[in-house]
Amino acid sequence: MKPIIYSLLALLLLVSLSCRKTYEAPVPYDFTNLPGSGQFGTAVRSVTEGVYTVSNGASEFGDQVALKWTYLHNGADTSYYLSVFTGKDAAYFNLEGTPQTDSLVLGGYWRKLVNDQIGLVQLTLRVKHQGKLQLYKGKLASGDTMVIDGLYGDKNSSLSHPITFTYNRPLNPRPFSIMAHRSGGRTSDLLPASENSVEIIKLASRLGATGIEVDVRYTKDGVPILYHDNTLNLRLIQKNGLTGPVENYTYQQLSTFVRLINGEKIPTLEEAMETVVNNTALNFVWLDTKYIGPMDKVQAIQQKYRQKALQMGRDLRIIIGLPSTEAVDSYKALANKENTPILCELDTALTRSLGARIWAPRWTLGPQTAEVQAMKADGLTVFVWTLDEPEFIREFIGQNQFDGILSNYSPVVAFYHYTEQP
Amino acid sequence: MLPLRLQTIRWVVLFLLLSLTAQAQRIPSARRQRRLQAIEADSLIDTRRGPYTLVVTAGGGLSYYSTHLGVPQTIDEPHLSRFGTPSSLRVMWYPDHRLRVGLETGWTTMYSYRGKVAGDNTHVYVSAVPILVVFSMPLGWLTGTDRSVARRMAITAGTGLYVNHSRLDYQGTVMSNTNSLGWMAAASYTYPIGRRFRIAGELKWFDAVAVENAAFTAELQLVWRAFSW
Repeated sequence: MKPIIYSLLALLLLVSLSCRKTYEAPVPYDFTNLPGSGQFGTAVRSVTEGVYTVSNGASEFGDQVALKWTYLHNGADTSYYLSVFTGKDAAYFNLEGTPQTDSLVLGGYWRKLVNDQIGLVQLTLRVKHQGKLQLYKGKLASGDTMVIDGLYGDKNSSLSHPITFTYNRPLNPRPFSIMAHRSGGRTSDLLPASENSVEIIKLASRLGATGIEVDVRYTKDGVPILYHDNTLNLRLIQKNGLTGPVENYTYQQLSTFVRLINGEKIPTLEEAMETVVNNTALNFVWLDTKYIGPMDKVQAIQQKYRQKALQMGRDLRIIIGLPSTEAVDSYKALANKENTPILCELDTALTRSLGARIWAPRWTLGPQTAEVQAMKADGLTVFVWTLDEPEFIREFIGQNQFDGILSNYSPVVAFYHYTEQP
Repeated sequence: MLPLRLQTIRWVVLFLLLSLTAQAQRIPSARRQRRLQAIEADSLIDTRRGPYTLVVTAGGGLSYYSTHLGVPQTIDEPHLSRFGTPSSLRVMWYPDHRLRVGLETGWTTMYSYRGKVAGDNTHVYVSAVPILVVFSMPLGWLTGTDRSVARRMAITAGTGLYVNHSRLDYQGTVMSNTNSLGWMAAASYTYPIGRRFRIAGELKWFDAVAVENAAFTAELQLVWRAFSW
């Protein structure tokens, strides 16, 4: 009997050791989302944007970072956020101005997308004036250098590690589209909002995106919604017992029973577009066609929100992506398709024949220099998707061929774009 | 119950069972000596393998859903049921050594919940059909007698596919299936009631890993030694 007992004990030990670790990265900072910019007015925001050299903290975040302000509208109010994009481990900072009167202080958190590292950060704006470091009060004299320093912590500690950014040069001004996959980023990357949710759309700019790609499907009753996968599954939604294709369910059923991983509802395409137009500064929306069938409802929404954006004085491009021959057929079946901007992911000949203004090959096909140059010579915009490898992102941006990159790691694209020296 | 690393467990359990079986068949040195002496004394010893038996087991009982689940907060007056009445069918090959192998299927209720949404009744029902390759062995093999508890007890482990079924009744009916890899582990006690029939009680853990469904079942089984050769 002894071997049996030992074996059973070993089996129990094995089972207990085989439990999968649950990875989480809860945001440790509560944003006040105060309307207005506080002390961080236009002038302050302008002088703080740029490429900075990292001294303290370089081992954690790399030796240079890019600082960029974004904003979020909420009705008549606007909240401002400072993002820091780093070159190491897809790390980014998400900061807001804190209401302190004696100094300009930023509070928020940092996060690395390649793992679950996250922590608090608090920074103070200073200026190096005639060799002496002093608090920045909103004025920068000639020869002064902006220095942003403070402390950061990690999951296990509060603010304890010093960090210092010293201004180096302005951000790369070259126009470039940084498009965030799945409306802002993947749920699996432990972002604070679920992919293809209204909340991640609001977060996209702070993650470095200038535009988003959203995944459009239809419910059983024909409502266009945002959802990436073919089926309801625990990668994307909270456990509720429902399975199978999302197209099997009506919008009312999904709205009642299904919540995305972080508790959000599956949004309709209209809700998503309302958010883009009313709340964000995003200038590009790529409606990826995940469905097979008529495209007329998506076309109507595209045209409705294009008009709405124009009325608001916004230059917002909303295009329908054609990733397959089925999608091409749906597009060809549309009435009045001449005024429906499209992006074609297929070959160059088909892209030209459809009259698409954007060609978007997959990145694994390589730089395709000749094809890209030929398309650009014909006046087309060329994007590449879905590129997540930092080395290739750096290389593709350095080659200066593409007009934009679609990525799950928009902070990485933002870092390499903004730090690129023109 | 946390999700498990299925691949690791599957292979190590298989390895464990095989190694145990090999070990069980290893004859202790004293007995080996006696057997060698017997072989020398009797040149007419029968060296044929067997007998082999095909055993069919059918059973049913009670199940309890044993892992976390989520009832949407949008449902008023929620009523949750974790209990079900599972049934199972297993076909095993009993060779002339300890490790037995076979196939198991059946049907197991995982859980269900009902409630109201804006006055409308709702009901969600989740069940699973396992299709598993299973390995089994008695705790006692060449020890004791037919009446020994160890020889009547067996442990069983298996892995394979779970076809998970969900049914939603709310503003219409939606039935969907999704497949998931998974595993099972069980312990049973078998009592002879005739030359070819036994009854057995079995405690079993079903785990459909990808959909995070797991149920503990207690079954009463009829074991039929259907065919021997």
